[in-house]
Amino acid sequence: MSDVARFGHGSRIPGWDDAVDLTKAPAGVPDPATTPVPPELRSEIEAAMAKYPDFRSAAIPALHAAQKLHGWCSPEALEQVACVMRLTPGYLTAVATFYDMFYMEPVGRHRIFVCTNISCSLRGADAVHDAIVDAAAGDPDFNIRSFECLGACDIAPMASIDGEYVGPLELADAERIVEDLRAGRPVLEEKNIRRRRSVDPGARRSATRDEDARA
Amino acid sequence: MSQHILFDDIDEPGLATLQVYERRGGYSSLRRALQMSREEVLQNLLDSGLRGRGGAGFAMGRKASFLPKGTMDKYLVCNADESEPGTFKDRELMQKSPHMLIEGMVIAAYAADANRSFIYIRGEYELQADILEAAIAQAREAGYLGERILGSELSLSLVLHRGAGAYICGEETGLLDSLEGKRGNPRLKPPFPANQGLYQGPTLINNVETLATVPHIIRMGGENYAKIGTESSTGTKLVSVSGNVQSPGNFEITLGTPAREIIYDLAGGPFPGREIRFWFPGGSSSPVLLPEDLDLAYDFNTLAQAGSMLGSGAIIVVDDSVPVIDVALKLAKFYKHESCGKCTPCREGTNWTVKMLERLETGEATPMDLDIIASVQQQIMGNCLCVLGDAMAMPLGSMVARFRGEFEQHIEEARFRAGLGAPPEPSEVEIAGVGN
Amino acid sequence: MPRPEVKFVTFSIDGREVEAPEGAMLVDGAKYGDVEIPVFCYEPKLGEPVGACRMCLVEIEGIPRLQTACSTPVRDGMVVHTQTERVKEAQNSVVEFLLVNHPLDCPVCDKGGECPLQDITFGWGRGISRMVEPKRHFKKPLELSPLIAIDRERCILCYRCVRFSQEVSEDYQLVLHERGANSFVGTFDGHPYVAPFSGNIVELCPVGALTSRAYRFRARPWDIEGAGSVCTLCPAQCNVEFTVRDERVLRVLARENAGVDDGWLCDKGRFAYQSIHSEERIVQPLVREGDELRAVSWERALEAAAGALAKAKGKVGAIVGGQTTNEEGFLLQRIMREALDSPHIDARATGAAVPLELQRALAAPGLQATVPDLEFAHTVLVLGTDPIDDAPILDLRIRRGVRRHGVKLAVATSRPSALDPNAKLWLRYAPGAEQAFVAALDAALSGADGFDALAEAADADPKALLALAAMLTADSGSADDGAGGAHGGEDVVIVWGERLGVAALPALLNVAARLGLDGRPGAGLLELPAGTNGRGLREAGVQPNAGPGLAEPTQADGKSAREIAAAAAAGELTTLYLLHSDPLREHADRRLWERALERASTVITHASVMTDAIREHATVVFPAESYAEKEGTVVHPDGRLQRLRPAIGRPGMVRSEWQLLTDIAQRIGHDLGVLTGPMATQQLVAAVPFYAGLTLEEIGGRGVRWQEREAAAAAPAAPAGPFDAGTPAPAPMPNGALRLGTFRSIWASTEVEISPALRFLAARQQLEISPADAERLGLVTGDRVEVGADGTRVSATVTLRGNVPAGTIFLGEATAESSATELLGDQPRLVEVRPA
Ligand SMILES: Cc1cc2nc3c(=O)[nH]c(=O)nc-3n(C[C@H](O)[C@H](O)[C@H](O)COP(=O)(O)O)c2cc1C
Ligand code: SF4
Ligand code: FES
Repeated sequence: MSDVARFGHGSRIPGWDDAVDLTKAPAGVPDPATTPVPPELRSEIEAAMAKYPDFRSAAIPALHAAQKLHGWCSPEALEQVACVMRLTPGYLTAVATFYDMFYMEPVGRHRIFVCTNISCSLRGADAVHDAIVDAAAGDPDFNIRSFECLGACDIAPMASIDGEYVGPLELADAERIVEDLRAGRPVLEEKNIRRRRSVDPGARRSATRDEDARA
Repeated sequence: MSQHILFDDIDEPGLATLQVYERRGGYSSLRRALQMSREEVLQNLLDSGLRGRGGAGFAMGRKASFLPKGTMDKYLVCNADESEPGTFKDRELMQKSPHMLIEGMVIAAYAADANRSFIYIRGEYELQADILEAAIAQAREAGYLGERILGSELSLSLVLHRGAGAYICGEETGLLDSLEGKRGNPRLKPPFPANQGLYQGPTLINNVETLATVPHIIRMGGENYAKIGTESSTGTKLVSVSGNVQSPGNFEITLGTPAREIIYDLAGGPFPGREIRFWFPGGSSSPVLLPEDLDLAYDFNTLAQAGSMLGSGAIIVVDDSVPVIDVALKLAKFYKHESCGKCTPCREGTNWTVKMLERLETGEATPMDLDIIASVQQQIMGNCLCVLGDAMAMPLGSMVARFRGEFEQHIEEARFRAGLGAPPEPSEVEIAGVGN
Repeated sequence: MPRPEVKFVTFSIDGREVEAPEGAMLVDGAKYGDVEIPVFCYEPKLGEPVGACRMCLVEIEGIPRLQTACSTPVRDGMVVHTQTERVKEAQNSVVEFLLVNHPLDCPVCDKGGECPLQDITFGWGRGISRMVEPKRHFKKPLELSPLIAIDRERCILCYRCVRFSQEVSEDYQLVLHERGANSFVGTFDGHPYVAPFSGNIVELCPVGALTSRAYRFRARPWDIEGAGSVCTLCPAQCNVEFTVRDERVLRVLARENAGVDDGWLCDKGRFAYQSIHSEERIVQPLVREGDELRAVSWERALEAAAGALAKAKGKVGAIVGGQTTNEEGFLLQRIMREALDSPHIDARATGAAVPLELQRALAAPGLQATVPDLEFAHTVLVLGTDPIDDAPILDLRIRRGVRRHGVKLAVATSRPSALDPNAKLWLRYAPGAEQAFVAALDAALSGADGFDALAEAADADPKALLALAAMLTADSGSADDGAGGAHGGEDVVIVWGERLGVAALPALLNVAARLGLDGRPGAGLLELPAGTNGRGLREAGVQPNAGPGLAEPTQADGKSAREIAAAAAAGELTTLYLLHSDPLREHADRRLWERALERASTVITHASVMTDAIREHATVVFPAESYAEKEGTVVHPDGRLQRLRPAIGRPGMVRSEWQLLTDIAQRIGHDLGVLTGPMATQQLVAAVPFYAGLTLEEIGGRGVRWQEREAAAAAPAAPAGPFDAGTPAPAPMPNGALRLGTFRSIWASTEVEISPALRFLAARQQLEISPADAERLGLVTGDRVEVGADGTRVSATVTLRGNVPAGTIFLGEATAESSATELLGDQPRLVEVRPA
């Protein structure tokens, strides 16, 4: 139907056009008798559940754990979490789709979140994003997304690469990022926020102390 | 007279470890607080005049005093979601001085009589979460957390909870739902969290910076802390400066410092040859201010009087190389993307605003559309379930109002580029039905 | 638990002083002053307000921001404005926002004409749209389930449907996906939304986003009429409104009655109306000629029936089905007793008669719990029944009590229950060991010796039993009541199923006495009978050992259902009268019944569709009315008399059955003196002392609980306990074999099978087995097996269930094929399972 003009405009949202599959059984709480769960995953989820007064609080930690194991929140992953938590996979779908860090489709194993919010884009983030996309040239190993503010505008433009914050990025860094990841090296080590003193020490003053210094 | 408070030791190597933190006097405020009664500690917080550093600027001591008395489970939640564009101060605090936050939380829990506490940290802050987790383990080991802390009556558990990427989880009730394992939709208020928050129990929620200030208030005494800053905005504030400045970063300032000093002296000012066009004084949700506002004192009340707000203390500077409409569109797209979708005006209003702004870009708009954009912002404001809708409507409304001429010019150019003939004269025509 | 007291306060709305109940939300309070505030997301049946749609914004003096009237309680002295410019502007804005992406395809929308979005746009909208951008257009309608279609374009994201799934039915299948403007209603990974209550979302949706696939494009609102009645497809007897067009029922809607149903319906109640207009409906009398049933005139059929009955005086047995009205049952028992000298009449599918003194004790007015009690009790014990199958709507009521009022729930059943996850405590006993279990509970409460032996006989966990006893007697302060019991001073409601069996009843009464339930408001027993009108039929005298009003019978006791079968099989009874009953399907011991029907010389039946029993054994078949055609009364399990009203005309040659019964009586030479339907009701009321003075008007559209009327004092005196609980037989030890437990699924019924929309749900025989037994037998889910005992076997498909206790399997009763009743005799059975 997608080539019919009527469907060609308006916002396209994955899922909106999907009917259910009537041959499937309704998805209640998975029965442990028929839902095998990898033991490590089970114990990780159970440990998370034990931390909270209400076990449901462990939904996000459990989804993080399942996603780490499966690479994405696959139906199988959701069923396993649902089975351990005694929830329906539907409940977990509602939760998982709400948050940006859960994937409902398989993605490349290297996560590159390029911040393209205001502060970073004022410093050229959109071009950096495009450069990284070009450098990766469609390699399915890479999951490159433009992301909302990652809370590191002091190193704008920046990106979170497999969880490590790097910046400020230049166009030239795009190739390096891809190469470092392919080679299994730490990415742009000198620009990692761990190593970087976020602000040069000389500037690290309170406004009033500055006055004191002047006085 | 002034001190350098939160950032005093911030670049001390190893501060994230218990040993160095203790060597620098860490946890002595906790010991001191435990010598006092709960009421005394709370009084110090009240006296300090400390206002929340997360956005709303509500007096922290008062909020803590709202929690009902009784033996039920009470909760303290630290809001470490830090997702407001332009804000990155909590990140630096948590990364470099996690124990300061933990110490502040234990004292705050004592004041509020809470027995369970949580840190809700945004999922993207993986490094900071790891650091905090290690620090929590150390603190527990050393007896600063857990049962009968330092031999006192106080018991407190602390759980670090990682989010998964949703700005709305910074809104306090959205955060609570998310922490309860649901979609992070804000809740209807009242009831307020102080009465019915996490798991329906009384809950105190504060920002990282707010809680990290608590040990210093105990150390200095609430009344002494209140002497810093201005009368209604006491103390120091971490300000994140970003955008078109030469040295972006976090700076600790005394509240009331002129904005110009922060932007020019601390953050290096605009790049050579550039002029500041406008600036957000308190994160992307604050109405924009102009260069002539740069001499305003940076404090809660002055910025509110100027029609904007201090918000999370994040200054974003935009210089004259950037078209206003680019910033407007980025902004609107951000809020559209982050709207949780629960209430109508925010969900549909942000969505529609983005469509309209995109139309301005493609040349399919006329200046009349600016009136609709402005009117839609009006329709959002005050009508939503939480203030995320207002957080777009306020700055966007202010941009359209202050830069109307530029928007109109942009429309005309875009129309011309799109081959839509001669641009129409800007007209005063009333839109049928508006205001009926 | 004390129910909230209502106090009235005065507030001002649009300049007028109005009195409204304190704490009511403003939208409801405003109605007391005839002010309507528009709402979309607000629906008190769904729980706490969510304040999402923002349609109900109003101005309250002293509060700067507009407030949502759906979530703001009325307070004394509050000053509210709903007509100011500010409020109007806010309402206009919300409507405009809602329509920004709504397709406005009202001309082709089923909801058109009965759509809140249309009405509110008309009443509170700006009247124009300023959005020129393209709207979203997507494929539609899409299937959400075989019953429900979804038009996502039309959805206004009011959250009602997902709140229903999550907070009312708690099936958590229907959820919102994504966030913000991308949000959409859907299910996990394309699984259909199939759940016992799914159809309610169609009625809840305030736009045409969720529509019934069975009703789509069948009628416009101006084509239809609504007719209120009662659903008789199960004992819950929900109040319904039939949507009728041209003498056809096209839809069933809930007709909220807080005393009965809360305004919800199960999918059987909502969609099985299709059975009324089934092709398979029997619409004329049939008489057997040789091997075949032939359509005949009424005259011939009546002659045949009356002739056979007259000849068989003293040798007639009658089995009455659960959907029979009080009047029909009453008239038939008169015929049996007065004209045929055959008091062998029974309505209990469980087979055995219940001694009259136990019945009277159980029916004591002070011991009856009501449906709303389930919601406000301190503790509810569900014993030997799963409401989801036996009276589905009560499942929702119990959930609601737990969720909203903190009711403590305990579940004690042999088969895992749908309510287990909501229960503070659930425990299992062996199927067949009901008597031992209840006796053990009684012993646990009294601390009597022999508790351990009884718990063992029931194969129940003694620790759990003690915990249950502690929970039932949990004390909120008041001390021991001195009556030797552990009566804890809290309201306990015990919901129990007729399937618990006769033997367990003395112990049950003892438990009730120990808990001090009699005479305690808000506490008591609530029996779920196996048949829809089980309670009414007993009260109308449709049982062998009691006349109308639970009176001592004037003749010697007749035979119970099981005895009727045995006597017929032995040739002692020659004629069987089956009033809306198919014993082959519904009664235990199918093989005995086969012999009985085989041997009987005449089998007279009232039926609306053909079944095996009728096809093979019936001599005369009278076409039965459907529940939408019937006139009469039924009694709810909590004693509420309810009225059935004809919503449509009867098809074909179908006649009213009260009239048919009087005609038969006439021909046997016995004038029942009934000329109209209401006269039958009058006779019934006159015959049952505790109904005295009741009229159809009084029953009205909401029903009347007889216990709440003065005449209740005329209820037969309940004998004083304690009752001798007897010595329970221990549960059979599996020893390699497996214990057989059975249940009757909500979907095991003819109505489901012949309703095209519901057919996909019709119960098929499944063997529910524990993982341990499955492993031992080398079975996996989906395997075909045969389950056998004493040379009989039924085939089934294996389903592993983690919570089935090892050593026990469960099979369904009343499935169209391979019903577990084939294996059921009057003793608990051990069975063997073999691959087919
Ligand atoms: C849309 C939205 C996002 C917010 N994000 C944050 C946040 O990321 N961090 C934060 O501390 N407060 C945030 N807030 C403010 C919180 O709701 C709340 O006021 C704050 O956590 C209270 O702490 P404080 O009193 O210490 O400032 C946000 C508010 C809104 C409406
Ligand atoms: S489908 Fe209907 S009931 Fe469900 S959210 Fe949309 S409008 Fe509301
Ligand atoms: S009805 Fe009040 S917000 Fe929806």
